[in-house]
Amino acid sequence: MEDYDVRSAASILASVKEQEERFEQLTRALEEERRNVNLQLERANLPPNPTISQPLAWQQVVMQEQSPSNATSLAMMQEPQEVVEETVTIEEDPGTPTSHVSVVTSDDGTTRRTETKVTKMVKTVTTRTVRQVPLGPDGLPLPEGSSPLSSYTDSIDRRYMKNGGERFITPQATSTLTRAYNNSYNDSYVETPESQYIRHYGLHEGYADLTDNYGSLSRGVNFRPPRYPYMPNSYRPENSYTLPIRKDDYGHVAQPQVPMGSSTVDLNRSQPERFQPEPYGLEDDRRSLGPEEEEPYELEPDYSTASRRTLPGTNRGRTHREPLRDVHRVRGYPDDPIEAELIDERHPYIHGMYSAPLAQPERGSMASLDRMAGRRSPSIDSIRKDPRWRDPDLPEVIAMLGHPIDPVKSNAAAYLQHLCYENDKIKKDVRQLKGIPVLVSLLDHPKSEVHRKACGALRNISYGKDNENKVAIKNCDGIPALIRLLRKTNDMEVRELITGTLWNLSSYEPLKMVIINHGLQTMTNEVIIPHSGWEHEPNEDSKPRDAEWTTVFKNTSGCLRNVSSDGAEARRRLRECDGLVDALLHALQSAVGKKDMDNKSVENCVCIMRNLSYHVHKEVPGAERFQDPSALQAPGSAGPQRKKKDDAGCFGGKKAKEEWFNQGRKNGENDKNYDTLDLPKRTEPSKGFELLYQPEVVRLYLSLLTESQNYNTLEAAAGALQNLSAGQWTWSNYIRATVRKEKGLPILVELLRSDSDKVVRAVAIALRNLSIDRRNKDLIGSYAMRDLVSNLPSGQQRPAKNLEEDTVVAILNTIHEIVTDSSENARSLIQAQAIEKLVAINRTSQSARETKAASHVLQTVWSYKELRNALTKDGWNKSHFQPTVTATPKATKNGKPGYDDTTLPLMEKNQDGYSTIDQRDKDCKYKTDDGSADLTEREPLKNDTNRKHYIRSNRPAVSLVDACDVKPQPVDSWV
Amino acid sequence: MSEQPSNDSVGQRCQITREDFICQRIEIQKLREGENLILGFSIGGGIDQDPGQNPFSEDKSDKGIYVTRITPGGPAEVAGLRIGDKIMQVNGWDMTMVTHDQARKKLTKKREDVVRLLITRKSLEEAVKHSKGSHPRQ
Repeated sequence: MEDYDVRSAASILASVKEQEERFEQLTRALEEERRNVNLQLERANLPPNPTISQPLAWQQVVMQEQSPSNATSLAMMQEPQEVVEETVTIEEDPGTPTSHVSVVTSDDGTTRRTETKVTKMVKTVTTRTVRQVPLGPDGLPLPEGSSPLSSYTDSIDRRYMKNGGERFITPQATSTLTRAYNNSYNDSYVETPESQYIRHYGLHEGYADLTDNYGSLSRGVNFRPPRYPYMPNSYRPENSYTLPIRKDDYGHVAQPQVPMGSSTVDLNRSQPERFQPEPYGLEDDRRSLGPEEEEPYELEPDYSTASRRTLPGTNRGRTHREPLRDVHRVRGYPDDPIEAELIDERHPYIHGMYSAPLAQPERGSMASLDRMAGRRSPSIDSIRKDPRWRDPDLPEVIAMLGHPIDPVKSNAAAYLQHLCYENDKIKKDVRQLKGIPVLVSLLDHPKSEVHRKACGALRNISYGKDNENKVAIKNCDGIPALIRLLRKTNDMEVRELITGTLWNLSSYEPLKMVIINHGLQTMTNEVIIPHSGWEHEPNEDSKPRDAEWTTVFKNTSGCLRNVSSDGAEARRRLRECDGLVDALLHALQSAVGKKDMDNKSVENCVCIMRNLSYHVHKEVPGAERFQDPSALQAPGSAGPQRKKKDDAGCFGGKKAKEEWFNQGRKNGENDKNYDTLDLPKRTEPSKGFELLYQPEVVRLYLSLLTESQNYNTLEAAAGALQNLSAGQWTWSNYIRATVRKEKGLPILVELLRSDSDKVVRAVAIALRNLSIDRRNKDLIGSYAMRDLVSNLPSGQQRPAKNLEEDTVVAILNTIHEIVTDSSENARSLIQAQAIEKLVAINRTSQSARETKAASHVLQTVWSYKELRNALTKDGWNKSHFQPTVTATPKATKNGKPGYDDTTLPLMEKNQDGYSTIDQRDKDCKYKTDDGSADLTEREPLKNDTNRKHYIRSNRPAVSLVDACDVKPQPVDSWV
Repeated sequence: MSEQPSNDSVGQRCQITREDFICQRIEIQKLREGENLILGFSIGGGIDQDPGQNPFSEDKSDKGIYVTRITPGGPAEVAGLRIGDKIMQVNGWDMTMVTHDQARKKLTKKREDVVRLLITRKSLEEAVKHSKGSHPRQ
């Protein structure tokens, strides 16, 4: 950031110098122009030559509009130009921070849609005042006369009209000039000013398109300095308000002053009537505002000053537009007179503000918002006190986006961003005014200032509940344009804006696949991988890099998090995106290593991992090879087999065995324990999506579950374990066993006490999936039952946590899973005083789903004949365990097929946006005749918890990625 | 096994003939940063990469090595390297038909303090015209 600021300052200086050069060029050009004009004037004074139309026209105009001051103005044209003096002021806005970025991140619990909104304010203002005031014989400023000047002279004379007094130049004189210029333009008077201007213009803006109308027009405006002489004292540059523009580049001269004594105001006011008849006068101007408001969304070219310039013949006919061009008060562009002028041409904005619209940001967003909304900021008003000025309206701002001069574009875009901030109405208006395609087209603009501001506007526009704005951006190919810019730019700020916009866009379902199609690999390569610290091929000499939690990374991971919930195809694409999973894992490892696990980036990464882990057993290529053969045959047969296999698990085991195990751990023999799991031998390290379900990830998720304070991260980590432990394939068997071995069950059980509803829910469902493993089921039944039951509501009274229906149902289903095929677990349930709660839910719950789930549990409990005695002793009878009359019969549980429904994502029902496993109404799917568990092998969870910490502290952080010595294809590497 | 998501090829397509390219030799003195010697730029491309995603190439089947990013003020920038430059040779080694990693290794040899690049870049005139042409006027 520092670096960035330094560069900004340097660029300011550079641009200042550049501008000085331009002014020198201008000065020289002006000389030439003067000569040309003199030539013209001479010709005009000669008898009309029919073959030279331009001089003829000139002469005609002159004849028509003879005025007393005409001679003066002509005389002035001969005056040599004064020295150009430039002062550059870089001032920080005093008091309040001048630049402020406000980031509003909202995290909607139900949709998890996260959006970012940023409004940028103009920060540093550079003011450059150019004094170029040739003095006339009377000591007052004189104009430089030349035909090119006429292009702005008409605006000048309008100015005169407006402000009344002009002692040196009459409106007639100026209009004469104007028309002369127009004529010369039409007649392609090649040797005259235009060619000069063209050259200059090209120099200035790089628009070498010489034949372009705009070019010559703006060139005409190039020569602003000479204009000053026309102005009354009060409007000499120093007095004028400034047109604030680009951040850091231009300044904002304070308020209008009256440096030249008292003369100005009175003088100006003294003769307004004199100019009333002039069609360019102020009154016309004001009248003209009406029509504009009638068609406020018109985007005709005639909004553009440039096009108006090119229509000399119609100028008169369009008087209501003309006043828009009145401008020379604008200053602050001395740097770039062309730019300043072109902005200034558009009268309306000046009208409202006494400064260009983009001046607003310096005064704070609210001020300008107020103005936009029709309320005026008193402070502003007090500054100008001229009710005739007004803000530019939205169509005008949007039209400015198409302005040929870059700073106008960028300023307009910045102003739009500013206006759109937290204003849904304006966002909608911008869309209806077709402003979005223009902004998108500016993303490809070569100048960083332009594409940055356009991107900022798009970010604000894309934020909010109005998805049509997002669709509008997509419809004009905004997404590929953003991605293109992301590839091109190195500017951190621009990258933040791009990724922020993409994040906003990604919250709308229909756009998710579009984002994936256009930007997945780019976002991964440009942001995720570099910022994650992951390297395709770690350099042996350098230690692994840590992840950088930059805004860009946060935004991009947020975007990917959103798109990762878009279904199977989206998941497939993300899993197969080169380096993505590797980088996300590395970032999470880094977070765990640094114990920095509560931030949003980590949350996003875990959520992506959770989503990508969903349905891995069905969706990853080659998954069928890993299908558990026993599971494929019959669920029941898998049980005993697994049980045997997993007996060496560390969660359970006899005391002696346990100690042996711990000893083994400390001695680094834990591999032996894995051997008992028959983990597949890997001939080469895992990479890409394979990393998602390697047992090594378990430790990562458990670390997050242990350390993170962020509920969303906790939920996602539990959800990931839940997803990975679902399904019947080899890897989920390993995962379930690994969770136990890694002491994960106590961690999960502890989280059942969490205050967060969704954490409890995710953990409960994870426990349910984990209990597919027989050993896990026994352990959970013994040690998790009380915590599970304590989360249940008692009767109609909810516990303090007041858990949602979904959570209660999830807990009931988990309990059901645990007691199924395990009378011992059912006994634990009874001992946990659960029957009373279950009966109460079954009879009185308002929720049919809760009632049904509780009923399932009760029926299962009652099915254990050996428990009925105890139940009867407690005062229960069969009727308590029957489904209530209203309860849905068991057979109609959503009609789900018994097995595979275990992994239906919640998102598809709840629009949660995140896939976890929906096990609601899941039927008993794990049947085994081995109903009794080996009690002797159980260890208290408490002990395990303590041990866990001890062991964990002696273990290095999980290093999945280190093991991954693969050679994924690097796409971009620093050297 | 893994396939690249189809990315839009977004480069502005404009026919530039070979003559518009100029070759230039650039010598970069590596900068010592801690234990590492850095050049201060990043490369993209390579025969193992998806050339369609290269934003700098005109020909979207060009699998050459391109300069994708440059550290401001870094050795590469000082030496005059620019984003979008195509690296033809590194210390005489051909870079037009190498994998991304081979290129990276050639650039990051620890024993070499100086890297001599042969690069090509669109001529300035062409670049200017190009950017103008692609830029919407109104």
